[in-house]
Amino acid sequence: MPSNKLHQAKVLLHRPAGRGYYRLVLLAPGLAAAAAPGHFVMLRVSANLDPLLARPFGISSVLSKRSIELYYRVAGRGTTLLTTVDPGQTLDLLGPLGNGFPVPDKAATPLLVAGGSGFPPLLYFAARYGKQARLFVGSRDKECLPPAAVMKDLRSRTKAVHYATEDGSRGTCGFVTDSLAAYLVSPMGGEKPVIYACGPHAMLASVSRLAEDHSIPCYVSMEERMACGLGVCMGCSVSMKAGGYKRVCKEGPVFDSREIAWGRVPLRGGR
Amino acid sequence: MPAVISFLRSYLLTFGLFAMAMKMKIHPDLSVNFAGIKLKNPVLTASGTFGYGEEFADIIDLNKLGGIIVKGISLKPIKGNPPPRIWETPSGMLNAIGLENPGVDVFLRDKLPFLRNYDTAVLVNIFGYSLEEYVGVAERLDGVPGVAGLEVNISCPNVKAGGIVFGTDLKAAFDLLSAVRKATRMPVIAKLSPNVTDITAFAKVARDAGCDGLSLINTLLGMAIDIRSRTPRLANRTGGLSGPAIRPVAVRMVWQAAQAVDLPIIGMGGIMTHEDALEFILAGASAVAVGTANFVNPRATLDIIAGMETFLTQEGIGSVKELVGQVSVA
Ligand SMILES: Cc1cc2nc3c(=O)[nH]c(=O)nc-3n(C[C@H](O)[C@H](O)[C@H](O)COP(=O)(O)OP(=O)(O)OC[C@H]3O[C@@H](n4cnc5c(N)ncnc54)[C@H](O)[C@@H]3O)c2cc1C
Ligand SMILES: Cc1cc2nc3c(=O)[nH]c(=O)nc-3n(C[C@H](O)[C@H](O)[C@H](O)COP(=O)(O)O)c2cc1C
Repeated sequence: MPSNKLHQAKVLLHRPAGRGYYRLVLLAPGLAAAAAPGHFVMLRVSANLDPLLARPFGISSVLSKRSIELYYRVAGRGTTLLTTVDPGQTLDLLGPLGNGFPVPDKAATPLLVAGGSGFPPLLYFAARYGKQARLFVGSRDKECLPPAAVMKDLRSRTKAVHYATEDGSRGTCGFVTDSLAAYLVSPMGGEKPVIYACGPHAMLASVSRLAEDHSIPCYVSMEERMACGLGVCMGCSVSMKAGGYKRVCKEGPVFDSREIAWGRVPLRGGR
Repeated sequence: MPAVISFLRSYLLTFGLFAMAMKMKIHPDLSVNFAGIKLKNPVLTASGTFGYGEEFADIIDLNKLGGIIVKGISLKPIKGNPPPRIWETPSGMLNAIGLENPGVDVFLRDKLPFLRNYDTAVLVNIFGYSLEEYVGVAERLDGVPGVAGLEVNISCPNVKAGGIVFGTDLKAAFDLLSAVRKATRMPVIAKLSPNVTDITAFAKVARDAGCDGLSLINTLLGMAIDIRSRTPRLANRTGGLSGPAIRPVAVRMVWQAAQAVDLPIIGMGGIMTHEDALEFILAGASAVAVGTANFVNPRATLDIIAGMETFLTQEGIGSVKELVGQVSVA
C-alpha cells in the first residue's frame, strides 16, 4: 500500500554500480514492508536549502523486508551531491508513493521494456513476477546499458533478454522499440504478452503506439518533475486523453498507456 | 550523614523551584486572534501547498495547526496548465500550476467535510477570472459551517477587462475587494500580489475596501530558460517563484504593509524554520503561513510551532503577541 510516511532512513550501503549509476541501500523497515513494484520514494539528497526539493526514485528492490534498494544515475546537481553521502548517515525519505504495476495474470507473458535509467522498478517487478517475463532493454551503446550486476540479475530473473543498442554494439541495432516490434510480429509459442515499460517519454510514447497497434495491454511508468510527491503541489501532472490531467505522484506513476494523451509521437524511439 | 541529607534537601528544593519556574514558562501563549478568527497558534499552511489537508493527515496531526488555508477555489472547476508546470531554482521553485481545482461545489461536497473533523481554523482561498466569479464563490461560502474566513487571491487576470491583473491595478483591486466584502459576512483577507512597485498602496486599498486582514506575499513572477533548446522551462513560459529565495523580499513587504495600515497580517514567503517565522512576526505579521517548506519537509509546520514555543520559553516571552511588529528601527 502506498503511504505518505516520512522516514529517517539510514544509509546502509552506497557504492558506484558502474555505467554512471550508484546503488544505494536504505534502512526503512516501515517503507520496505509497504512497498510493491512500481512504487517510488522522494529522497532529500541533503539537509541544505539548495537543492531544495526531494528527488523521486523508483524502488528497485526490497531487501529482507527492512531496507530498500535504489539505483540512481548521476544526472544533475542533486544526484551529484547524493554521491557524497556516506553509510551511517540518515536521509529524509518519503514513501512508498504512487500506484505500482498491476499484478500480471498467471497466463500472461510480461514484456518488461526498459530504456535509459528506467530499469529500477522493472528490476523489482522481475524479482516478483519475472519467471514468465521477457526483458527488452535498450540504450545508445552497450556502455549505456544498466550496470553489469543489474543485467546479470535481470537475466537470471527473466525468461529472456532482448538487447537493442543504437550503434549495434549489443543486440539489435536500433531502438528498444525495434526489438519489441520484431517480437510482437510473431510472439513465440502463442504467448499472451502484456507490456510494462519505464523510460524516457519518447520511448514510452512509441511503446504505447506499438501496444495499441497489436492490441496488447500496456502499462507505463511516467516521469515528470515533481515538488512534493504527495499530490498537493499539482506540479507533476500529465495530459489525459479523456481531457484534463492526472498526477504522476498520486494516480501514477504507472498508467494504462491508453489513458495518456501522448501528443505528437516523436519519430525517434528514445533511448 | 545529616550533611548529606541537608544537601539533598536543599538540592531537591532548588531543583523543585527551578522545575516549577520552568513549568510556568514551558507553555508560552501561542494563540492569536486574527481578524476575529481564533487561532491556537500563529502557524497556518499557505494556499496551494497543502491541498485540502487529506494528503498530510497521515504525516502530521492537523489538530496541531493554527489553521489551514486551502488550495485556491473557483466557481467552476479549472483544468490547469499543460506540463512542465514546475522548475527548481536556487533555494526556490517556479510554478505555473494554473490554479487547477475542482470548483466550489466539489470542494463543499468532497473536501470540506474531511476538514471539519479537525480542530483547526479553515480559511478558504478564492479566486476568479472576473469580478462576478469572485463574488459567486464568496456567496457560495458565506456562512458555511467549518469555514472561518476567506482569503482572496487577487493575483489573477480579469479576463473580461483585457486580462489586467486585479492585484496590480489599484482601481481593479479596490472594486474587486469591495464587491467580495459585500458578498460575505465572513472575515475577508486580501492576499496581495508582490508584483507591484508600492505594496503599501495595495494594503491601503484593501483597508479602504473593508477587508479584515492582509495576506502576503503571493509568488513573485519569474522565468527560467533552457539554453540548449532556447525555450522556457515552463510550458506557461512564466511562473511564480516561491521558497527561501523570496524570503527577504517578503519580510520587507510585510514590514512596509504593517507600517502603512492597521490590519492584521498573515506573513509568508520562504518560511522554512521558526526563526524565519519569527522574522515575519517581528516585521509586523500576526500570523504566518508555510508554503513550499511543506514540499521539502512535510513536518515543517509542526517543527516551526515547536521551535517557536521553545524560543519563547528560552527568551522568557509569555505570548507570541508581544513580538508582533517589534522590530526596532530607531
Ligand atoms: C517516479 C520517478 C521515478 C524515478 N526513478 C528513478 C530511478 O529509479 N533512478 C534514476 O536514476 N532516476 C529516476 N528518476 C529520475 C530522477 O528523479 C532524476 O534523474 C533526478 O531527480 C535528477 O535530479 P538531479 O538533481 O540530479 O538533476 P537536476 O536536473 O539538477 O534536477 C533539477 C530538478 O528537476 C527534477 N528532474 C530532473 N530530471 C528528472 C526526471 N527525469 N524526472 C523527474 N524529475 C526530474 C529534479 O527532481 C529536480 O527537481 C525517476 C523520476 C520519477 C518521476
Ligand atoms: C505549487 C504552488 C501552488 C500555489 N497555489 C496557490 C493558490 O492556489 N492560491 C494562492 O493564493 N497562492 C498559491 N500559492 C502561493 C503560496 O500560497 C505562497 O503565497 C507562496 O508560495 C509564498 O510562500 P512560500 O515561499 O512559503 O511557498 C502557491 C504556491 C505554490 C508553490
